[in-house]
Amino acid sequence: MTIRADLHNHSCLSPCGDLEVSPIRLARRAAERGISLIALTDHNAAGNCPAFAEACRRVGLMALFGTETTSREEVHILSLFPDVESALDWGRWVYDRLPDFRHDPEKLGDQVVVDVDENILAFEERYLIPAIEASIDDIVAETLQRDGLVIPAHIDRSAHSIYSQLGFLPDLPFSALEITRRPPPPGAEDYTLICDSDAHFLDDVGRRTFTFSAEISVDSSGQEVFNALAAALQERRTTLSI
Amino acid sequence: MNLRELPKVLDLEVLQDTFDDRPLSGAYTSDLLSDVMAHANDADVLITIQSHKNTVAVASLVGVGAILLSNNRPVPEEMIQAARDESIGIFRSRENQFVLSGRIYRILNAE
Repeated sequence: MTIRADLHNHSCLSPCGDLEVSPIRLARRAAERGISLIALTDHNAAGNCPAFAEACRRVGLMALFGTETTSREEVHILSLFPDVESALDWGRWVYDRLPDFRHDPEKLGDQVVVDVDENILAFEERYLIPAIEASIDDIVAETLQRDGLVIPAHIDRSAHSIYSQLGFLPDLPFSALEITRRPPPPGAEDYTLICDSDAHFLDDVGRRTFTFSAEISVDSSGQEVFNALAAALQERRTTLSI
Repeated sequence: MNLRELPKVLDLEVLQDTFDDRPLSGAYTSDLLSDVMAHANDADVLITIQSHKNTVAVASLVGVGAILLSNNRPVPEEMIQAARDESIGIFRSRENQFVLSGRIYRILNAE
């Protein structure tokens, strides 16, 4: 069966995200837009993954959990895991390396942890955007060591991408590369390509997606879903909406 | 010298002119916004090639008065608008950061 996936989304925990984007609204909007596999990837934090897991269960979506991490080089990289516990554990590794800049919600936007019913559980006080004390290589190695998928985000953007920050693609075992337009940059075709919405607002959910074939459904376990995706990436079986 | 005099002295394009004047007492040069956040607190002007909206957010956080973009870098309208909202000037030069930093360093150390 054809699975439509969007692996890069932000909730109200990301400061640049809209306060409106609670995990439950994100899940509902994704379902409305025909997405069957969705991931939550807030900046340097996985705090809304528990609520997101419950939201996806309620709505009937397959889900993956992780972060969009900012490396020391200020490259954005997605790390994805099959279950909330792994994502939270990963989130702790990231947070331990995040410098302690006090967050200013008025200037920078709110960073809110919520439950599935949109009750506020906490305000994140450390600014989540800055680079963590880990390089691209460190993030790739650590994610793979934890059996996650590691995907450099929006590699063709003019900011916070591998190409904007380094000017070239380092030879690392990325699970895939995320592009936002065609043609992909030189060297990128050697890797599996995906595209995602990178949604910070509800309207943008699913604006870019990719599909792959797998025999998985909401009744599959998180690990089964994850493995099916990993196989599709490994075998370069993705079809992009762009 | 004041910040508003800098464009004339260094022959800079002024892309966003809504900002408060202040004496020019410090500058910082970096392309990593995290580095700017950690070290640019005494800077009045930030010299960088990072011409995007996030630079404005960081400049606002550390209290920089103007951003000076090097290498004649293209500037998106949303960066200019963000800077206008924050009252942070945007200047641009054909020169690279080495030259611009050197010139501003000399100005700051001559007074």
